[in-house]
Amino acid sequence: MTHRLRLAGLVVSLAILACALFRIALSMPQFGRHPFPYGQAINRLAPAQRHVSNMVSAVTFDYRGFDTLGEEFMLVGAVSGAAILLRGFRGEQPTARPVQIPGRPVPPPSDAVMLIARLIGPLMMLFGLDVVLHATVTPGGGFQGGAVIASGTLLLWIGEGYRGWRSIVRTWWLDVVEGGGALGFALSGLIPLCFGGGFMENMLPYGKFRDMLSGGLMQIENASVALAVAAGFVLLFLEFLEETRAPEDDQQ
Amino acid sequence: MSLLLALLFLLAAAAGTGVVLSRDPRRQVMALAANGLVLGLLFLALQAPDVALSEVAVGTAAVPLLFLVAIASIRTDESRNQ
Repeated sequence: MTHRLRLAGLVVSLAILACALFRIALSMPQFGRHPFPYGQAINRLAPAQRHVSNMVSAVTFDYRGFDTLGEEFMLVGAVSGAAILLRGFRGEQPTARPVQIPGRPVPPPSDAVMLIARLIGPLMMLFGLDVVLHATVTPGGGFQGGAVIASGTLLLWIGEGYRGWRSIVRTWWLDVVEGGGALGFALSGLIPLCFGGGFMENMLPYGKFRDMLSGGLMQIENASVALAVAAGFVLLFLEFLEETRAPEDDQQ
Repeated sequence: MSLLLALLFLLAAAAGTGVVLSRDPRRQVMALAANGLVLGLLFLALQAPDVALSEVAVGTAAVPLLFLVAIASIRTDESRNQ
């Protein structure tokens, strides 16, 4: 195929694509003006039915909680897959001490960086906890709060250096919390079955509208997601950062 | 569509173009983080604070870090082979 022929093919296909795009763009509803039947129904029903004021949490943890269960196990699968792949190269047992690569300088963090990280890191984790706890009241929830908490631990890494960060986060229960969160979510679906309810039926008391503890079973699901996401992200960071270290005393 | 939304859409397009056009991997990671931040602001302006929080936490902190670590890891392998 010559250069000119290929160019002609490109022009023809671009013209067809442009026509199709133009047609679709014209027949689309106007920006921000399409009807939201599902959203309006949730806004009308959820405060009365579930006593929560964050409708996104009501959808993800209650009305479509089964979908979230799938997403939860997708996350666990992704984190486990990354851990298996990376540990497969390094060995199953984590090394006792972080290893430094010879020739790569490790400059200590400056006092200003350490101060800022020590001030903001704990505050950020506290904010993550706040986002997790108020899942049914204000925007945010287990996933967002868990990710914020995990990002807060990264500030510890910047402030304390790899050695200090590793000694804080590398614990045996990191894996347990990661799997236990997913297990908690699955159990909160299965346990109602034992009491004659449907899968993930919200049988707990709903609490007061706009109260931090409102939502019944959503609270347990939300806490499970927060645990799984925070531990999963930290585990992922740890497994990736270990890769830059190339431990030699790993083989036992 | 308000002026704020129009500006944020333009900014998102500019940030995305910046990711494509930057050639140095480390700069590209930073451009990706900036793009995530702009997308977070856009979602916030479109009244989706839940999505904005996720986007900012994942798109500007977690994913760029993993990319930076992957780049650093490749560098160490190169220096070991030499």
